[in-house]
Amino acid sequence: MSGIGPSDVANVAKLARLAFSDEETEAMAKDLEQILGHVRSLDALDTEGVPPTAHGFELATPLRPDRPAEPLDPELAVSNAPARQGTAFLVPKVLEEEG
Amino acid sequence: MSALPEKYEMVIGLEVHTHLKTESKLFSPAPVQYGLEPNHSVHPIDLALPGVLPVLNERVVELAIRLGLSIHATVNPLSIFARKNYFYPDLPKGYQISQFEEPVVSDGWLDIEVEVGGAGNGTGKGKKKKGAAPELERKRIGITRAHIEEDAGKSIHDIAIAGSDDSCIDLNRAGVPLLEIVSEPDIRSAQEATAYLRGLRSILRYIGVSDADMEKGQFRCDANVSIRERGAKEFGTRTEIKNLNSFTSVEDAIEAEAIRQFELIEDGGEVVQATMGYDPERRRTSVQRLKENSDDYRYFPDPDLIPLRIDPARIEAVRGELPELPEEKRARFESEYALSAYDAGVLTASRTLGDFFEETAKLSGAPKQTANWVTRDVLRELKERECELEDLALTPEILGSLIKLIEEGRLTARNAAQIFPDLVTDGGNPEALMVERGLEAVSDVGAIDGFVDEVIAANADVVQQVRDGDDKPLNFLMGQVMKASQGKAEPGQVRKALAAKIRG
Amino acid sequence: MGSSESLLAASLTEQREGLDRGDATSSELVDASLARIAAHADLSAVVSIRDAAARAESEAASKRIADGKALSVLDGVPILLKDNIVQAGEPATCSSRILEDFVSPYDATVTEKLRAAGAIIVGRTNMDEFAMGSSTENSIHGEAHNPWDRSRACGGSSGGSAAAVAAGLVPLALGSDTGGSIRQPASFCGVVGLKPTYGRVSRWGLVAFASSLDQIGPFGRRVSDCAAMLEMIAGHDARDSTSVPEAVPALGAAMTGDIEGLTIGLPKEYFVEEGVEPGVLARVREAIATLESAGAKVTPVSLPHTEHTIATYYLIATAEASSNLARFDGVRYGRRADKVEDLQDLYMRSRSEGFGAEVKRRIVLGTYVLSAGYYDAYYGKAQRVRTLIRRDFEKAFESCDLIVTPTTPETAFGLGAKSGDPLSMYLSDVYTVSANLAGLPGLSMPCGLSDGMPVGLQLIGKPLDEATILRVGDAYERLTEHHLARPPETN
Repeated sequence: MSGIGPSDVANVAKLARLAFSDEETEAMAKDLEQILGHVRSLDALDTEGVPPTAHGFELATPLRPDRPAEPLDPELAVSNAPARQGTAFLVPKVLEEEG
Repeated sequence: MSALPEKYEMVIGLEVHTHLKTESKLFSPAPVQYGLEPNHSVHPIDLALPGVLPVLNERVVELAIRLGLSIHATVNPLSIFARKNYFYPDLPKGYQISQFEEPVVSDGWLDIEVEVGGAGNGTGKGKKKKGAAPELERKRIGITRAHIEEDAGKSIHDIAIAGSDDSCIDLNRAGVPLLEIVSEPDIRSAQEATAYLRGLRSILRYIGVSDADMEKGQFRCDANVSIRERGAKEFGTRTEIKNLNSFTSVEDAIEAEAIRQFELIEDGGEVVQATMGYDPERRRTSVQRLKENSDDYRYFPDPDLIPLRIDPARIEAVRGELPELPEEKRARFESEYALSAYDAGVLTASRTLGDFFEETAKLSGAPKQTANWVTRDVLRELKERECELEDLALTPEILGSLIKLIEEGRLTARNAAQIFPDLVTDGGNPEALMVERGLEAVSDVGAIDGFVDEVIAANADVVQQVRDGDDKPLNFLMGQVMKASQGKAEPGQVRKALAAKIRG
Repeated sequence: MGSSESLLAASLTEQREGLDRGDATSSELVDASLARIAAHADLSAVVSIRDAAARAESEAASKRIADGKALSVLDGVPILLKDNIVQAGEPATCSSRILEDFVSPYDATVTEKLRAAGAIIVGRTNMDEFAMGSSTENSIHGEAHNPWDRSRACGGSSGGSAAAVAAGLVPLALGSDTGGSIRQPASFCGVVGLKPTYGRVSRWGLVAFASSLDQIGPFGRRVSDCAAMLEMIAGHDARDSTSVPEAVPALGAAMTGDIEGLTIGLPKEYFVEEGVEPGVLARVREAIATLESAGAKVTPVSLPHTEHTIATYYLIATAEASSNLARFDGVRYGRRADKVEDLQDLYMRSRSEGFGAEVKRRIVLGTYVLSAGYYDAYYGKAQRVRTLIRRDFEKAFESCDLIVTPTTPETAFGLGAKSGDPLSMYLSDVYTVSANLAGLPGLSMPCGLSDGMPVGLQLIGKPLDEATILRVGDAYERLTEHHLARPPETN
């Protein structure tokens, strides 16, 4: 596996909606490369046929009966909103379709 | 619109997102409701508040099993919920809980009927005789998979509400349970596409999995379209047309896109993967987003949820409780009631119509007549009144009695047609209404002879034509007798009397 | 010292008896707690208080207790919540700028349970931002200071809760543990900290860091106090799909003081001299000898994948965190950047301005390991190695009833000592992350001092077997006096 460089950080930062300056990007790339260097020790382990741990225990699928509960008071629902219009959240115009 | 040249064929795959018919949401107990003010049906889970966790609605599992069985698919004993990560304001968590590598249902199919030789490149106007029922053949459309996922909220761009610079976000719909049903690219025309969609919608409604009301956004379709030269083994590059919210726009959009791709290739260009939108005003598709810029969704199993395990006994229990499916009912109507494939198809388009027909046929004792009345007259009334079957005052008892009266010769078909609209509006007793309006058929031979003599006397030259060998005016004479008798003369008797008196 | 002040310094059992006997009222006890919190503001252990509400609640509790109708062992007792456990109508900042003004509209399950038990929540404690850290230095409320030496860190991420209990501000506080965030600060601050089996305590209302690793747990000055708190907050919760259906055993009854015949496993990988401060190793070995003197047997075991636990942990934790923190986008709650130009600007600036450097570092790493082309090599691989780590424990537990190790390789480091070196900070979690990866219960308790700073003894139990580690911990307390040591008071 190749190392993680500034362009990788830039791509990933975009995916995560984080903005870094060039210096921050360089510094982050260095930190992450150091961490990944440590992490690459896992490559040496033979995990052929070993299943991934999805959850702590083998639980039966928990299910909820289809009974509707009282909805949250709409005023409370938007009480922490940075911007609102009535009981709707307000954001700058959404232009493009979802990803 | 021009059609795709014969040397090309279009290849279509359809993705349908359908709202499951539940009282509460997929992972939150908030009620599923339509038409409310923004954020009037949300729970902390739907708002993705810090610290909330999802819990699976058990009815969703039941409905997914029902759908899987109804499309002859495998209901997988183990399926995994995965997070699909991306940023969008109507996606509160910044990820959608969906299923990725291991969906709940896989490898199914449904059969559609397409016009023989008529499914040309888009026009669908097969060579059929005017007025005759089209000849149909069956085609199997594969269904790759169906998986459970949550719906997103809504962005309201309406300037009147949000202003010109902003959008409003309403999360009432966020978290509503969806089944995403993905077909194989087996579809070869726009008409096949709508036949598939109608068939799928019919099944969903029949088995109570979804109301599939397109206007409420409960049945949404995305179409993947590509073209290739007939006989080619490889598929062409496909585009995805999103947000098609009526069957008409599905058909039109597919045809428009196929032609766009053809013209592009003819001009020496190349089709590139893209998300397309369809403009019904201009009847054109256009690129909205190029796929190369698509997000990396970073799917991984959702650590807040336990894998969905469905045991075989549960699947068999659901199978036992499945209602008769549309195709089963259609086949049964054809054999049990000796109906044509076409009539059987029309009558089983909805479960309520099929049930209405069947009950009426049992009461009237005349299934063929009942089929005619339902496919012709009842459907006409529904169309004109723009309402549902349940809204009519007409019941199977009423229609059954009416048809029986005709069969018994006590009411002519013509007069039955006259009182029919009133029965539809007000209900009531057909026999009583018939008597009240003095419409009882006249089958008394003497009375009929009287009317026939009257008409023969008044139309001597026409009568002579018939005597000379021309049959055509007989209909005219029939009509005159019916008029004279105020539609009450029993037509069979009239025909006999006319023939006897004119030709001896 | 007034009676309420001295009662505040006592164990939970003594406080209960004192309240019931009328030595002090709940109101007096809560006042004493609030006064002590104010007097120790320099620790930055507590970041917000709800004094008016706490006083009103303690009045009601006082009345109940006077009528002989105490709701539970916790009725009228002041406690603190880590600032990532929500309470309706109260702030939950998670020590982050992005939530600095957030007020939760709902209660965590543990909050509901504690209130129903009559406990008086007096305030909320300092932590590393979004529970990401091992020092409680990454906080908008300022770094927390270790009561034993104010120039040193408390550990993290639940440093504020650990310090609050160590300084006697409250007898009990809740924290959360994802890779050691209860046990390591307990070790650094000389108090008892318990991470339950994964799924034992509901995560409903715990702001998620790494969903498959997080658990809420208590800090206290006595093992039995932690046991009582755990009994109160544990149990199946239908709102948490990862919650285990098993009933909570009567943990109090488990602490008999008798550990005769129990076998303690000592994993050789945790006792490597080069990796541990000599003073830490010495105190831990003395503790083991004490347990042997009480009749416990000792056996060597091996956890061969220990050297891979940090790598495995950081891949899984950061991946899950990167997804869990996507909801902090400035749209529905939390801080939105000023004068945003468009939607992307809203996201970019709200998140970049709202998150601290460590959080951003982990989000970037987590996003990277999940991204296309890297999933199998990193996240996928880590989940498989995690299975190997769990199997190590399963095998070890075939020959022992519990495992004992040092909690940390060192005592509390100086504030700022590890700031420039994230990897070094991560490596200090080496003894604690394995219990989270394997979902096992873990307890840290004081076992003496090294150069004047507390040393922690870690007990790791079989799944759902909190009873055994509590029993051993309690037995150790009966034989020693380390739990009575208090940090030196200053002014």
